[in-house]
Amino acid sequence: MSNTGHQPRSESPLHYGLTSQVTENASSSLVVREIHQGCHLTLRGDSGDTQFAHAVLQVTDVTLPTKPGTYIRSGNTSIYWLGPNEWLVTAASDALSLESALRQELKGHVAVVDVSGGQTQVNLSGEQVGSLLKKASVYDFGSWAEASDQSGRCTQTTFASASALVAKNADGSVDLIIRRSFSDYIMRWLLDAAR
Amino acid sequence: MKQLNRLPNAGRTNPDQNINFTFNGKAYQGVMGDTLASALLANGVDVVGRSFKYSRPRGIVGHGAEEPNGIIQLGSGAATVPNLKVTQVELYEGLEASSVNGWPTINFDLMGIMGWFGRLMPPGFYYKTFMYPQKLWMTYEHFIRKAAGLGKTPVEADPDVYDKLNQHCDVLVVGAGPAGLVAAREAAEAGARVIIADEQSEFGGSLLASTQILNGVSASQWVADMVEQLKRYNNVQQLPRSTVFGYYDHNFLTILEKRTDHLGLSAGKGQRVRQRLHRVRAKQVVLATGAFERPLVFAHNDIPGVMQASSVSTYVNRYGVAPGSKLILATTNDNAYQTAIDWHTAGRDVVAVVDSRQSPNGELVEQVRALGIQIAVGHGVIEAKGGKRVRAAMVAPLNESGSAITGEVKRLPCDLIATSGGWSAAIHLSSHTGAKPVWDESIVSFRPGDSKQQECSVGACNGTFGLRDGLIEGATAGAKAAQLAGFGLGAVQFSPVELVELTQEPQQALFLVPHSRPPSRAPSQFVDLQLDVSAGGIELAVREGFESVEHVKRYTALGFGTDQGKLGNINGMAILANALNQSISETGTTIFRPSYTPTTFGAIAGRDVGELFDPERYTSAHRWHVEQGAKFEDVGQWKRPWYFPKVNETLDQAVNRECLAVRNSVGILDASTLGKIDIQGPDAAEFITRMYTNSYLKLAAGKCRYGVMLKEDGMIFDDGVCACLSENHYLMFTTTGGAAGVLAWLELWQQTEWPELQVYFTSVTDHWATATVTGPNARKVVAKVCQDIDLTPDQFGFMDWRDGTVAGVAARVFRISFTGELSFEINVPANYGRYVWEALIEAGKEFDITPYGTETMHVLRAEKGFIIVGQDTDGSMTPADMNMDWIVGKNKAFSFIGQRSLSRSDTLRDNRKQLVGLKTIDPNIVLPEGAQIVSDPKQPIPMSMQGHVTSSYYSANMGHSIALAVVKGGLNRLGDTVYCPAADGATVPAQIVSSVFYDPKGERQNV
Amino acid sequence: MLQIYCPHCQELRSEEEFSCGGEAHIARPLAPETLTDEEWGDYLFFRKNPRGIHHEMWYHVTGCRRYFNATRNTVTYEILETYKVGTQPSIVGEGV
Repeated sequence: MSNTGHQPRSESPLHYGLTSQVTENASSSLVVREIHQGCHLTLRGDSGDTQFAHAVLQVTDVTLPTKPGTYIRSGNTSIYWLGPNEWLVTAASDALSLESALRQELKGHVAVVDVSGGQTQVNLSGEQVGSLLKKASVYDFGSWAEASDQSGRCTQTTFASASALVAKNADGSVDLIIRRSFSDYIMRWLLDAAR
Repeated sequence: MKQLNRLPNAGRTNPDQNINFTFNGKAYQGVMGDTLASALLANGVDVVGRSFKYSRPRGIVGHGAEEPNGIIQLGSGAATVPNLKVTQVELYEGLEASSVNGWPTINFDLMGIMGWFGRLMPPGFYYKTFMYPQKLWMTYEHFIRKAAGLGKTPVEADPDVYDKLNQHCDVLVVGAGPAGLVAAREAAEAGARVIIADEQSEFGGSLLASTQILNGVSASQWVADMVEQLKRYNNVQQLPRSTVFGYYDHNFLTILEKRTDHLGLSAGKGQRVRQRLHRVRAKQVVLATGAFERPLVFAHNDIPGVMQASSVSTYVNRYGVAPGSKLILATTNDNAYQTAIDWHTAGRDVVAVVDSRQSPNGELVEQVRALGIQIAVGHGVIEAKGGKRVRAAMVAPLNESGSAITGEVKRLPCDLIATSGGWSAAIHLSSHTGAKPVWDESIVSFRPGDSKQQECSVGACNGTFGLRDGLIEGATAGAKAAQLAGFGLGAVQFSPVELVELTQEPQQALFLVPHSRPPSRAPSQFVDLQLDVSAGGIELAVREGFESVEHVKRYTALGFGTDQGKLGNINGMAILANALNQSISETGTTIFRPSYTPTTFGAIAGRDVGELFDPERYTSAHRWHVEQGAKFEDVGQWKRPWYFPKVNETLDQAVNRECLAVRNSVGILDASTLGKIDIQGPDAAEFITRMYTNSYLKLAAGKCRYGVMLKEDGMIFDDGVCACLSENHYLMFTTTGGAAGVLAWLELWQQTEWPELQVYFTSVTDHWATATVTGPNARKVVAKVCQDIDLTPDQFGFMDWRDGTVAGVAARVFRISFTGELSFEINVPANYGRYVWEALIEAGKEFDITPYGTETMHVLRAEKGFIIVGQDTDGSMTPADMNMDWIVGKNKAFSFIGQRSLSRSDTLRDNRKQLVGLKTIDPNIVLPEGAQIVSDPKQPIPMSMQGHVTSSYYSANMGHSIALAVVKGGLNRLGDTVYCPAADGATVPAQIVSSVFYDPKGERQNV
Repeated sequence: MLQIYCPHCQELRSEEEFSCGGEAHIARPLAPETLTDEEWGDYLFFRKNPRGIHHEMWYHVTGCRRYFNATRNTVTYEILETYKVGTQPSIVGEGV
């Protein structure tokens, strides 16, 4: 798609927020890493429709989570439950190919929306993660069971004075999926809360 | 200076570790483990403040949150803290404190003369005196505030750090006295997540000052063992120095944890958190907040040296301080006899125990008798004598009910009067929930009312004053709370605590010790020490006709101090009941509200300060704007470039330059903040058509349409362009500020009213970055970076959109215009937002492309008469009011949202405020936005208001100022002259003109 | 600070995640143009505002973005039940 000499430069939402003050060393009590997933798609459809769930599995190789507040993962692809007819699909691949593959396979009243530019994923690890979540959100993360490599708990909730999708990984670390326009604020907030 | 009152038995303090501090500028020494109160008492400091109204000298009375007199200012400068209680300030090296009351000094007090006028300051004094004449109130207020001693608020920024923690637990135990400790242990053993909080520096509550043996060890050893046991549970969080100050709906409680205050002011050095606000959601709450001893009310009971009996014991046993030498104990109950024993054990002189009961013979009473201490039964202390320290107690025989003096008054020399009128359960937190406290005559105390939430009260705060009973109640409640939260079977797991408890005889209810003269004539018998409310004052309020306890409280100020009447309220209510000749139950109850003790603003603000006060939302090109020196404007939470000044340019100069550049060549605006909603589904067009005033049923792919959205009342709510992307797929633009509201609005109608319509909405605001290239040269600029879209007007017309590639990035390009010029709104995935922005700037260089901000955007659209929802509208404007009837579909099959309201009699009125233009007669005057409009400036006041200015600018393109305004019947008044008052008092005449100033035929955007 | 059970997320969640949408079960008239001003005004402006049992809409705005209904006691603030749009409450107040 590139024409006549353009070499498009992509900047993640945390291009400036993280590069200046990245806190990534093993002894740190809080490690913040941005995880570049090329593909973030919002998926809408009827979870009771077995054909829909089947088609999603065919295309993504991930079972559609129908239990509220859960995600299912296979390799680099994850599907998060956002609501009774709404999911987030993240994958390492580029959004366009997965989006068109899903559009191809899914029938009936469904929607696939590319939101890759609008959000990013941040991984939080270290011993401070628990208390940090308590500072950030009114949600009771302490009630969550441990995650496995294939599935775990997730929720959309308030995060500081913004909102986020929060998911717990098998290694105890936590992924935040945050909106682009709030990402600088959330990064500043995290660095402040972790000091 | 020698600490006169320090005892050999140091209690829980460390006498080897001296701590230096100053009080009112004078240097003293205390020891590690002291509170400021115990250190002052150790040094023999009698007077710690002056009273609120009469400025009488006052000394320390209590040992905790109930203290009414020892109110101090800690430190100075930015970190100074006003209105702390000396009993709650832990001593640290270098502490500096001063009394908040007492001007100029507490020992020589000019205000003391106020005391002479005591008779002139009855209850309601302020209402009666300072109300008139009203214009003098400012003078009075200054005087009263100075006299009132409210402390000094720091004027510099708070140097300390505060934060908040959202906590969830199964069982929250409030208070770590004996009942609380065993409750926490039982709940923890059952597996529940437990938080136990206590306001004191260490757990143990009353046991810290107790001589009781529990399980064969001392009380403090037993407490230490319990704390150790609790530490072993990883499901228990212990929070000392943590006051639960509010109990709110659905078992939500707030705790103020003081983390560094005991180490000194700003001990956290701006790094460590000084105070933390815990916001706790608990499944179950066990309240074990204890009780407050009730003081006896007698004449001049406010002289320094009159103290709570339990406080005297606490200073002796816990702090190793004897606040005096010769004690008289005045009591109505057995319990307080322990103080006589403690005083005697400390080697000091007990002059007498004065017991109001006729023949007390309880086990503790017998122990005191056995020590050879004189007990005056059937007697009361009716008056204290002394100035700045008690010198004697006046003791008289009382009748059986304690209501009258029956014989000769004797003077007993002493320097300390400890009093006990029994105990009042600390029902504050239970009262916060709305539970109405119930008076229980058998314990002479209120009990918590029926639970309104998932809570129970145990131990003394439940009116269970015995230690053994309190421990049983606590353990049972802990196990039960865990069970209710889903843990264990509700049975107590630990064996009962072994202890020997002495039997006690009934106490006497005595709320006012009689004097030889009635309260109205007797020396003041103080009920509320902090606010100088006396028994006589309460009786006077009744004589003046007050009957309701709530009115009497407000009239007399009873309980309105920073101690919230923790000592005085019950006595005051009983005295009121007596004056009204009714029972305490009939008189009513008292409702406590949060906060239990004062809470700092810093803790309430937490980290939501400075740059984190509110989220700042940035667009993908934000850094470019910053680098170019843009000035920013807040639009909702967004930071939008306001204008891009060149060196030394003012706002006006920059905006004039930007405006001219757009109309004469080309400008570029970051429009990424506009809300964008992706709409998909077979019923999308039908749904959108129901939401907008116009129809989208025939909008073809590749086309856009401008729409106005109404609320059901017919008033404009949002506006924007909606594009058809493909069959059943639309993209809706909203205003920047309206994005979230519009999405919620669409969801509301789809989810609740028309679930049969198949349509999905997804916010894509953040996904797309939008650059608007606008001006006569816009096409030439876009053509340089976009080769795969045919940009010729007949192929890509006004209100079309196209998919294509801009600067190598997949883009959607919309030909929509908010400036009235040829415009291309270029949308690319936001990760490429800055790149494409810079490519457009580069491409536009030869045309001197000019980045512009929101101010220029506002001017340009006002020149065109385009409205801004929320600026030119205010929620009371219909499309017709905005002269936009053209956008209302009259023949739509479905009655769109708001349609019916457009034909209500009120919306059809012809004198509604309507949008017009205003042209000032003097072309250089820019009307103030919001200015009111009148037809005749000479009309006498009240003038009839005709409307107001909604938008107003200087237009460089027009060469004169322009304004938009809403004027009553304005559309029929074109050509009329109206008048606006200016800020300087002048009146500015202006002519009503069309709201479209520039290019009225709209030719420039359509090229 | 209320705690509200979201029937979609199937969890008790804190009030901060929600916004209240006012009285529930107000059906939009099917043919608004046939109503008198007074009838339309009733639909637009008049609400029950009861002392006691109240059925109201809540929007789980930072959660699942679904609307649902709650039966709340306006005196005690107790939320007695929540239920999905399109279903009826099981608890009904007097005189409703």
